Amino acid sequence: MLKYLLSRVVATIPVVIGVTVVTFVVMHIAAGSYVPGLDLNPNLKPEDEEAIKRYLGLDRPWPEQYLTWIGGVIHGDFGRSMIDGSLVSRHIGDRLPATLELTVTAILLGVLISIPLGVTGALRRGSKLDHALTAMSVGGFAIPGFWLGLMLILFFSVQLQAWGLPFLPSGGVMTPGTGGGDLLDRIVHLIMPATVLSFVYLSIWSRFTRSSMLEVLAQDYVRTARAKGMSERRVVYLHALRNAVIPLVTLVGLELPSLVAGGLIVEVVFSWPGIGKLLYERAIQTDYSTVLGITTFAALLVVAGNLLADFLYAFLDPRIRYA
Amino acid sequence: MPGPLLGVHDLKTQFFTPEGVVKAVDGVSFELNAGETLGIVGESGSGKSVTAMSIMRLISPPGRIVEGRVLYDGRDLATLSESEMQGIRGESIAMIFQDPMTSLNPVFKVGWQVGEPLMLHRGESKAKAFASAVSVLAKVGIPSPGDRARDYPHHFSGGMRQRAMIAMGLTTTPKVLIADEPTTALDVTIQAQILELLRTVNREFGTATILITHNLGVVAGMCERVMVMYAGKVVESGPTEDVFAHPTHPYTWSLLRSIPRLDAERHEPLKPIEGLPPDLIDLPSGCAFHPRCPFAIEKCSRDVPPLNRVGDAQLAACWVTQSGTELPHA
Amino acid sequence: MIDPIAVEAPQVPAQPVPAHVGRSYWRAAFSRLRRNRIGMASGALLLFFVLVALTAPLIAGFITHTNYSSQDLTNTFASPLSPGHLLGTDDLGRDTLTRLLFGAQVSMGIGFLAVFVSLAIGAAVGLVAGYYGGLIDGLLMRFVDVILAIPSIFLFILMSILFKPSTVTLALIIASVGWGSIARLVRGEVLSVRTRDFMVATRALGASDARLIIRHLLPNVLHVLIVFGSLYLGSVILTEAALDFLGLGINPPIPSWGNMLTNSETFFFHSRWLVLWPGVTIFLAVLAANLFGNAVRDAFDPRLR
Repeated sequence: MLKYLLSRVVATIPVVIGVTVVTFVVMHIAAGSYVPGLDLNPNLKPEDEEAIKRYLGLDRPWPEQYLTWIGGVIHGDFGRSMIDGSLVSRHIGDRLPATLELTVTAILLGVLISIPLGVTGALRRGSKLDHALTAMSVGGFAIPGFWLGLMLILFFSVQLQAWGLPFLPSGGVMTPGTGGGDLLDRIVHLIMPATVLSFVYLSIWSRFTRSSMLEVLAQDYVRTARAKGMSERRVVYLHALRNAVIPLVTLVGLELPSLVAGGLIVEVVFSWPGIGKLLYERAIQTDYSTVLGITTFAALLVVAGNLLADFLYAFLDPRIRYA
Repeated sequence: MPGPLLGVHDLKTQFFTPEGVVKAVDGVSFELNAGETLGIVGESGSGKSVTAMSIMRLISPPGRIVEGRVLYDGRDLATLSESEMQGIRGESIAMIFQDPMTSLNPVFKVGWQVGEPLMLHRGESKAKAFASAVSVLAKVGIPSPGDRARDYPHHFSGGMRQRAMIAMGLTTTPKVLIADEPTTALDVTIQAQILELLRTVNREFGTATILITHNLGVVAGMCERVMVMYAGKVVESGPTEDVFAHPTHPYTWSLLRSIPRLDAERHEPLKPIEGLPPDLIDLPSGCAFHPRCPFAIEKCSRDVPPLNRVGDAQLAACWVTQSGTELPHA
Repeated sequence: MIDPIAVEAPQVPAQPVPAHVGRSYWRAAFSRLRRNRIGMASGALLLFFVLVALTAPLIAGFITHTNYSSQDLTNTFASPLSPGHLLGTDDLGRDTLTRLLFGAQVSMGIGFLAVFVSLAIGAAVGLVAGYYGGLIDGLLMRFVDVILAIPSIFLFILMSILFKPSTVTLALIIASVGWGSIARLVRGEVLSVRTRDFMVATRALGASDARLIIRHLLPNVLHVLIVFGSLYLGSVILTEAALDFLGLGINPPIPSWGNMLTNSETFFFHSRWLVLWPGVTIFLAVLAANLFGNAVRDAFDPRLR
């Protein structure tokens, strides 16, 4: 297993390098250098500009600039804002917990609901229930996430409030002033955004679990299990499911980029103070460097997430774990 | 003398497919006595596996046992509830399957899987079942069973996996062991070992064994009695020696004849059975074998021959031999 | 935004197609497609949207008699079925139905364009990578890995602030990321077809690389492109609508289904309908595209049901 894990880690290195190269190149195209904004300050005299450039190493050849950039990234420095020179990494640090809270909750929600739905679909294959679940999947996949968010806010925040009923907050991580300590308050704020984010994945993952389950149920070892005289329940939930969820882990890993992307939309709709919303805010202000820094970070987050999925997969499948 | 351990009476299992009703098992009857070894021989599609699965009640839709009785220990297995049947499967009647490479669950340790029947049927704890599994693994000839039990199936070779499967079937010392083509997927040298193991098991544990195969050589080496199946019916049965020496059904006769012989002349052509196995949805009229039978008479295409006594303990379903005609030497 | 390949990858051709994709294969696939009623119905719905997109100005001229930008501040937030406005009006008194019609132009136009460009680039990269193998393959696929690691919407946002998007540039922006999955798929297919006998034989006859790739490999991977393309369309429409919604895609006054929902929270109290119509339309279009895509996939690979 160690060999497998090591090879997975090593495989990420080219991707990490590639990401930093791409962002570096885009940065140059966009703003002339990776510390942009210098040209924008009208008060800057040409000599000073030269001095600053020399100080920051901007007169060095590109490869050297790139090394500085990647060096920074390795140390957690993702550049500075063009608007106010603030450190991108500090912004990320402030906002990351909120994004993680949302994404992790959405993944858990998605997985916990998809598995039973998928298993039910597989066990009752061809039944009305199965067809209904498949139809819901196909439908769910077609609903625009941002619209779903809007509609939920429209009903659960606005309409319920209008009727004088208890309602859900329309945005934010917590009610202002509570300091984040009230768990119930946080959960209440988390429900809608997490539901919207996990919604699309429910469709995909439940169908996937269903087909994975069907495949496993057709395997010889399931027949062996039945021949041993155990209840069908044990066959399905112990012998079959344990095998069927392994590919799901890989799938969730593959969907990580898309989850982070979807998270951005949800963060904007629900005013969720995460890195997605941060990127959006800064994009509106054409703060290229912050946008790029966050993008780089997000890509690395995805790579890390994939690695985590690989680890989990190795852990779950004895064929990898004890090769 | 005590009655037979297992009695199958006119068993009929059918599959209801969009193309039609497949009569996989069409009126099969036989008995199995305690400690006996019975071989069931036939081509693919003859109904031998389905017969075994029917006994175990492992037939799933679109298949169904439509008729017949399977008597074991005074009860009709065909009418038991599913949970009652679960008590019998793996406990009194065990079954092992053809492909050992895929018949073990890849995510559980071998020792745990082998010991699972004890956990299920004897309520043993995981640790105790595991320990029992280790001793059974030793009995089936797996070296260092204590270590190997902690391994996962992908660490085992094909032959070892099949031994583990056999061990799994034996942990509860069942009265009946059904082995469905246990050696077909194995190398020839391993085949011999596995068959030897099954022989030993039968001798030492007294487990009645039903060995399903398409290989006549396997039957010859292993089974006291043999039952030949064709198109869902039993066409001949009896003590192996007798049936092989004096086949009384044209199908058995053709099978034996088709085996290439080392002492045959070099230029002698092989003698295959002409024609193709029948379509189980649309069986030929009368005797299902008549289109391919070198001895068929007119009656064969009209009426289905019943099983008739043709020797001391030998039965055959053939109009031609029933009337006393003897088949030429195979 | 949603990467269909992550869903469909386990299902899209796991086994290679018959040795040489001949005419009978296509004919069989098309007849299977024709027989799929849901598939045909959704295909018809999709076609309907395309036709609406193509004839929007005509429809506006003859049926609704308004333009998408003509405002009527005396008649804002009109309800559906009010005179002259079948689906009501928005905050500036613009007719919702007309705006939806023109929005179809944006969605369908960008959708199809982005899909075609993605397929073209992806196919080219996949063919080259799969055919040549070795270093070229390694480099190209690493590059694809990098592209796919970056969350697409982040890239889209970045690019849309770099290049102010028009309809065409937005399509190109979306395509510039989407080709990655296709390239991987095509490459996989090429790898399995490359070693077939007919390839070796044609090579032995002296065919050049280019000829082999274009005349022999491409036809055999075409089915992969068709299946993926039909499944990808829905995803593109959703992504494009999301970008418009964020204000980083097509902006008013050109209406798009996405930008009709921008800042619509502020309309809640005035008209619920404004939030409803564009979303429903997007949903129907994407649903049609997805169902049709499923039907195409089932038609070309019936094993994978």
